[in-house]
Amino acid sequence: MKLFSTQIVVPVDSNSVLQGALEVKHVLEETIARFNLSSQVSVVETGALGIYDQGVVLAVFPDDVYYGGVKPTDVEEIVTEHLLKGRIVSRLAIDRNLSSRRLVEKETGLSQQKIVLRNAGLIDPQSIDEYIARDGYAALAKALAMQPGEVIQILTDSKLQGRGGAGFPTGLKWGMVAEEQSDEKYIVCNADEGEPGTFKDRLILEGDPHSIVEAMTIAAYATGAHVGIVYVRGEYFMSIARLKKAIKDATEYGLLGKDILGTGFQFDIEVYRGGGAYVCGEEFAMLESIENRRGEPRNKPPFPPQHGLFGKPTVVNNVETFANVPPILLNGSDWFKSFGTPSSAGTKVFSLSGDIVNRGIVEAPFGVTLRELVYTFGGGVKGGKHIGFIQTGGSAGTVLSDKYLDIPLDFASMKAYNVSIGSGVILVASNDVPLLPFLAEVAHFFWHESCGKCTPCREGTLQIKAIMDSLVNRTADPASLQRLGMLQNLLSDTSFCGLGQAVPLAFESALRNFPEVFDQALAESHVPEASPEEA
Amino acid sequence: MELDNVTRPADQPQPLSDEDRCFLRELVETNRVDHHGRLSYMDIMFDLEHHYGNSLPGPVLGEVARLAETSPAQLNGFVTFYTMLSTTPRGKHVIRVCTSGPCHVSGSPAILSSLRRLLGVDIGETTPDGEFTLEGSSCLGICGVSPVLMIDDDAYGNLTADDLPRILDAKRSGGAQ
Repeated sequence: MKLFSTQIVVPVDSNSVLQGALEVKHVLEETIARFNLSSQVSVVETGALGIYDQGVVLAVFPDDVYYGGVKPTDVEEIVTEHLLKGRIVSRLAIDRNLSSRRLVEKETGLSQQKIVLRNAGLIDPQSIDEYIARDGYAALAKALAMQPGEVIQILTDSKLQGRGGAGFPTGLKWGMVAEEQSDEKYIVCNADEGEPGTFKDRLILEGDPHSIVEAMTIAAYATGAHVGIVYVRGEYFMSIARLKKAIKDATEYGLLGKDILGTGFQFDIEVYRGGGAYVCGEEFAMLESIENRRGEPRNKPPFPPQHGLFGKPTVVNNVETFANVPPILLNGSDWFKSFGTPSSAGTKVFSLSGDIVNRGIVEAPFGVTLRELVYTFGGGVKGGKHIGFIQTGGSAGTVLSDKYLDIPLDFASMKAYNVSIGSGVILVASNDVPLLPFLAEVAHFFWHESCGKCTPCREGTLQIKAIMDSLVNRTADPASLQRLGMLQNLLSDTSFCGLGQAVPLAFESALRNFPEVFDQALAESHVPEASPEEA
Repeated sequence: MELDNVTRPADQPQPLSDEDRCFLRELVETNRVDHHGRLSYMDIMFDLEHHYGNSLPGPVLGEVARLAETSPAQLNGFVTFYTMLSTTPRGKHVIRVCTSGPCHVSGSPAILSSLRRLLGVDIGETTPDGEFTLEGSSCLGICGVSPVLMIDDDAYGNLTADDLPRILDAKRSGGAQ
């Protein structure tokens, strides 16, 4: 075994690749070889660190020095100065407190706060050995030594709730599937991440794919399933490739397949790809898509735990939900409940985007405030500007003003203050961004993504889009806002699935928090004369 | 039944060759093995688009429907539901510009109008030389570096309008890269 005195970690994920991470890594390896350091310095690829506005980041261990904005032309300086002479290149060094892991630790004074992203940025996601070295598959081994009912009990006690947006208790869901008598059951991982502004599942899959493989296998053991399916967005090429490699490696190690860890338990995982349809994030639409049909939702009830994929009992969980499972089994439910708030145990992974200094992924305990997310983790609004509006929870989420900055984000306050967390989107727009064109884009999004199965959603999204466009173009008629209000009630009350029901959230909250913007657009509007053929 | 003796206009999909049929049979069977006896239409369709130049010709879908033991109408219903798939011919490269919220806030409207001008086509159209099809897209999930676009399987982030001519030229001449 080779022993290296220094290790340089390069985060490689779809965001950092776009900033040139692979070129930097390549030049780094070449330069290290040229200076004859290959026997002492190793270059390691890892998953996302979670910060993107620092360009390509290199971390040098054990020196614990982080370099940001590294260009291929900077590499030689780092090698000759830092590696050869031990002098830190201060021009490129960044404050490692920017790393979200450090911030979360600082926040509560606890050292193990990064639950979901525990391995991202620390291990090579394509190495099963590195995953195992960080307690990987230990939770599976522990689960297989227990009764299935005990596994479910730990999850139920942990109060883990689904992280896809609906917040359904995970232990309860697994228990329902375990109770069903059926020759076949399925474990489905929903990785059809499509909520605009969400990119956490992508980074979990790219940074720690084995955590999903392990958690799905635990779910299978607990509920008595033998087939697992991960439904990944079609555009997520790197996620798909890393997941497939993880499945292959786990199978070779006897951690998946016929006789898992010698217990006789059998479980296999397949990867299915999405085709670019937002509605397939809805669990039944996704199951339809896996069954080779149009991704249209089914009637509820019965729900997937009773009548899911191919009509069999099915567990459907989000990527982030699954990623919580192995640490809960290893550390116990009380440990998990020590994070977060009474209504919401554990952490949430937030995706920060828009006009924010540090765009990226942050994992923080429930109860964190928007102010902490935007200013402490996110570094504030770009260019020192003020917040215009914040959209939380995605396009199917709420549009908020800066009055909401100090509300703790958890499932209870969501209800109390009409703030949605959804999939954890925090989209910040500075006061330079006009609200109405943004909302028109949201309306356009829903009109485009409505599957067309039910009339309220298919026609309602078209009408909302027309009203928003008329407000932007200042051609709105005086009754527009009344009609918008009526459409909102109609969609939330009568749409067939969650997509249509959630459409009004953005418009309703924008009307509530920024009424003056709508009033001004109405005041400035001139209804165009109807053309002869329309009249 | 295939009407082999009918002469079809040159711009219409032509009947399948024996080579096509052989390719399709193999593709469907490999997919069945990969999915433990089931099929994933989506994987098949992505492979077909790759093979037939970014779209799915009618006769090909007809043959796949036969091999998958479903009706052409059923398969057509599937294909037309998903925005990544297309039954109408597209250019050599498909440009997907994200227009969703985060990219909108960081400047996607300007990116889109620059692309319209540079290519001389609107959303959903293909350039006359058959190189590029311009498409708007919902969130691509790389919001950490917005505004973003994808050309074929490659993503580009932190875009400004000035970056676009270089990106298009590289695609035009280089093909894969």
